[in-house]
Amino acid sequence: MSAERWKDDEALLESLRKGTPGAVDELLRLYQGKIFNLAMSILKNESDAEEAAQDVFMTVIRKADTFQGNSAFYSWIYRICVNTCLMRLRGKRRNETVSIEEFMPVFTDEGMHASPMDDWSKEVERDALNEELGQMIRKYTEELSEKYRVVFVLSDVEGLSNEETAKILGLTVPAIKSRLHRARLYLREQLSRYLLEGKAG
Amino acid sequence: MNCKELAYMLADYCNGSMDPRLREELDDHLSRCEPCMAFTKTFRATCEGTRKLREAIEYAIPAEVRERLGTFVRAAALKYPEKMREYRDQIERDRREKVADLVSAATAGKLSSASALLMESHCAACPECSGYFDALRSTGTPPAGDPPAGIRSHLIALMQALPPGEEFFLA
Ligand SMILES: [Zn+2]
Ligand SMILES: [Zn+2]
Repeated sequence: MSAERWKDDEALLESLRKGTPGAVDELLRLYQGKIFNLAMSILKNESDAEEAAQDVFMTVIRKADTFQGNSAFYSWIYRICVNTCLMRLRGKRRNETVSIEEFMPVFTDEGMHASPMDDWSKEVERDALNEELGQMIRKYTEELSEKYRVVFVLSDVEGLSNEETAKILGLTVPAIKSRLHRARLYLREQLSRYLLEGKAG
Repeated sequence: MNCKELAYMLADYCNGSMDPRLREELDDHLSRCEPCMAFTKTFRATCEGTRKLREAIEYAIPAEVRERLGTFVRAAALKYPEKMREYRDQIERDRREKVADLVSAATAGKLSSASALLMESHCAACPECSGYFDALRSTGTPPAGDPPAGIRSHLIALMQALPPGEEFFLA
């Protein structure tokens, strides 16, 4: 996170605390898009994401006074967003998600690959497949349970470091790394099946 | 290193953060194992695909959502200090009422047994409160206005010490 961002956040927090005119506008300017997008990627529904974003901003305004500042402001607001969204998901019938276990690579007892591997990496380097690949990654990511999806979105989509993601989710860095890796292994497997099926069909 | 171990180390390998000795071992395995080579290449392609996806995602918030969200948050933020003040005023009014009730119940000897006990032991240790109540009892008239701030805070603490649901005066 850049020093610039830090300074912006510090000033913003201070003006929110004091109730300076324009503080809320600045908060919206800096975070409206990010919070809505983060909520969208967790909730996958526009009206849910909008309501969640309302809750997030109200919580931030209400709690700006008591925010301790021992973590960065953006990580605090992301954390509020993640918690708000997860609480909304909890209240709902859980979306049907795939089991990540079904898409982990399979090994023999000796730790060797249990089935032959196809190298499709050259194929996806061709431009024609790029957009399709992006769409597939999106689709498969959406099917992940939120435990993995949230980590994947913060790290790979938002581009946050493992340390930042760990702070936001209140998890350890090794836990983040492991979830992220499993999410990528899962994606690789899904893409593999998709591309090979396409070839067969 | 076997194929399984290799598969679970690929993240560090791909982002270049792997320990050089391990990396050598991994490269050695790759050069001898065709499935792992294919696995590694396709894993890399997957990560690359995600990176491209990240670049392609723009922070798009639909204009009408931006509009609505902004209006809602600004309006709520404006009302917020007012709401807080209302809330604090309400609490203050409730408290004042309760303190007045407690004082008149204590003056009239109508405290419940639990609060009479609390009051007694407090007054035994607190000359301020015992002086205040002694004076009230001797005149027998309820006080005009709030008790002094010090006494008031003692009484509030006393009421908070009562078990929940316990009334401090006799019906
Ligand atoms: Zn191998
Ligand atoms: Zn006292």
